[in-house]
Amino acid sequence: MRVLLVEDDRMIAEAVRTALQQDGNVVDWMGDGASATAALASETFDIVLLDLGLPRRGGLEVLREARRRGIATPVIIITARDDVQSRIAGLDSGADDYVVKPFDLDELAARMRSVLRRGAGRGEPVIEHAGIRLNPATREVSYRGAPVQLSAREFAVLEALLLRPGTVLSRAQLEGRLYGWGGEIESNAVEVYIHSLRRKLDPDTIRTVRGVGYCVPKG
Amino acid sequence: MLKALRSIRARLLAGLLALVAVTTLVAGAVTYSRLLTETSALLDYQLHQMALSLRDQAAFGPGLQLPSRANGSEYIVQIWDPFGTLHYLSSPGLATEAGLPFIPPPAILGYADMRFAGRSWRVYSLDTVWGVIQIAQPWSVRDSLARQAAIRVLAPILALLIAMAAAVVWIVGGAIAPLRRLTAEVQRRDARSLEPIVAPELPAETAPLIDELNRLLARLREAFGKQRAFVADAAHELRSPLTALSLQLQLLDRARDESARNEARARLGAAIERSIHLATQLLTLARQEPQGAPVQLQPIALEDCVRQAIADVHSLAEQRDVELSLTSSSPADGSLMVRGDPDAVRTLTRNLLDNAVRYSPAGGTVKIRLDQATSERSATAGSPPQPTASGVALTVEDEGPGIPPAERDRVFDRFFRRPDAAEGGSGLGLAIVRTIADRHHARVRLEDAEPHGLRVIVTFPP
Repeated sequence: MRVLLVEDDRMIAEAVRTALQQDGNVVDWMGDGASATAALASETFDIVLLDLGLPRRGGLEVLREARRRGIATPVIIITARDDVQSRIAGLDSGADDYVVKPFDLDELAARMRSVLRRGAGRGEPVIEHAGIRLNPATREVSYRGAPVQLSAREFAVLEALLLRPGTVLSRAQLEGRLYGWGGEIESNAVEVYIHSLRRKLDPDTIRTVRGVGYCVPKG
Repeated sequence: MLKALRSIRARLLAGLLALVAVTTLVAGAVTYSRLLTETSALLDYQLHQMALSLRDQAAFGPGLQLPSRANGSEYIVQIWDPFGTLHYLSSPGLATEAGLPFIPPPAILGYADMRFAGRSWRVYSLDTVWGVIQIAQPWSVRDSLARQAAIRVLAPILALLIAMAAAVVWIVGGAIAPLRRLTAEVQRRDARSLEPIVAPELPAETAPLIDELNRLLARLREAFGKQRAFVADAAHELRSPLTALSLQLQLLDRARDESARNEARARLGAAIERSIHLATQLLTLARQEPQGAPVQLQPIALEDCVRQAIADVHSLAEQRDVELSLTSSSPADGSLMVRGDPDAVRTLTRNLLDNAVRYSPAGGTVKIRLDQATSERSATAGSPPQPTASGVALTVEDEGPGIPPAERDRVFDRFFRRPDAAEGGSGLGLAIVRTIADRHHARVRLEDAEPHGLRVIVTFPP
């Protein structure tokens, strides 16, 4: 998953980023509200982890601005403010969940999965589509009952496509999920992974939309 | 006894009751004595009238009819004829073993006090054509009559005395009662409720007391509020380093190989350092707050404190490759002295140096200066500004990014950190500097250093 982490405390940000990366996510880190707004405007993320006490622009303002612009990306607020008023304000400003510091990393990961589930309109934790069974928590994939071994990057591409069946993701968007900002992108890495996925699953599972990108067909 | 008189109530009661008692007793005594006099005059009048009525009963001779001897009469009636012969004697109720008493001659016309037959008598003698009429009444009888009359008059006065005393007690009690209400109001106040006392029904004399009480309550409210805010702020701020600690520990648990474990352990160590630093700064700040332990200001040599602070940050400066240079211009008669608390001044200097070192580039220099401060009195018309020596100035200058003028007020706020704040700080350094400076009545100024950097000038009063 491509995660936008907005947190001004360097130590906390480093720890969260390390943990998320260990789980196979790509994490972009912004240290203040203005940069976060700019990032949300220019890039697509699967989920945003948002601290409230930010310099240059507060977290709630970033959130409200994003929602006003129609950015529907799921947002989890991570903050030290634990009073009821702050919780209400955060959720009513458009957050999908509210986590108080200090928190448990595993719990945070589970909440992220839960929020994404809801975002995709799924109740089941496991994504099942066209014979493919993908478990975001355990990172297990099976096709037509038989387990399939995927590399971390292949998993990331497949997950991204399966999260939005019918939606076309461009090569750039898929690259974003693989490398975030500042990562080294091999020129045709995405094609390689798509090719590998088709081989391991089925050529029809992923459709190429010429000039646009790739998608997993609905239905 | 004297202690009891310290009470307003006791004093009022004692005074008023004494007044009432004395007044009533004086009035009673005066009334009594006047009553005796009046009664005596009345009885004398009666003697006179009796004598007259006897005289007017027509001439008497042997055929004179006198009233039969009535029992209970306490008068002696004697009538002498002109020849000196006792013509009539009556004293029926006064017989004794010695016989019937009679008034001994000579007869003194008018009123006389005589003593005979073992008693004192009041005697009235009237001279008539037919002889001398004498009537005598025992003084004891007169006194007894007078006393009875007096008691009849004084009894109501005594009752009045008792009633007044009771009324005084009740009135004084009523006047003092408001104080008890005030006591109850004050008792209701505690750390949780320090509202001002509003009691319009309390007497006007307590108004100054209530005003001062309310001012004190306001100061208490403020102090408690500051304390609560400080604790709340501190607790809130502690969450971040503690969260970092918790996360680093979780990462350590997750680490799957040695290098990951080492990295996690190193980060955990750094997070612990940061937490300790924050806790230490909080303690320092709490000690320097006015609510902290009051310390006396004594004359101290500023340079000693500065040198100690330099030693404190020496290892950090070495680590960051920053040089510390001190120039001090001492007057001829010794080193620069200020009134202060040596530990606090050392802490103030250390926090300034800590900031300067952290924000200095590697290879840079932090300049520390101690001078006699001069301030310029503003120019009066026609004459240039006069520099005057006023206190001692401690200047710390770095070559870092400096602080833009817009933020120079806010940087002294607790926990305020600028967007590009350096690693490891707590946001409390300048708050501590400001608190210590306030306690020493010193001024803190922030300026731009050339070509870039921050200059902090702390001016201690003379």
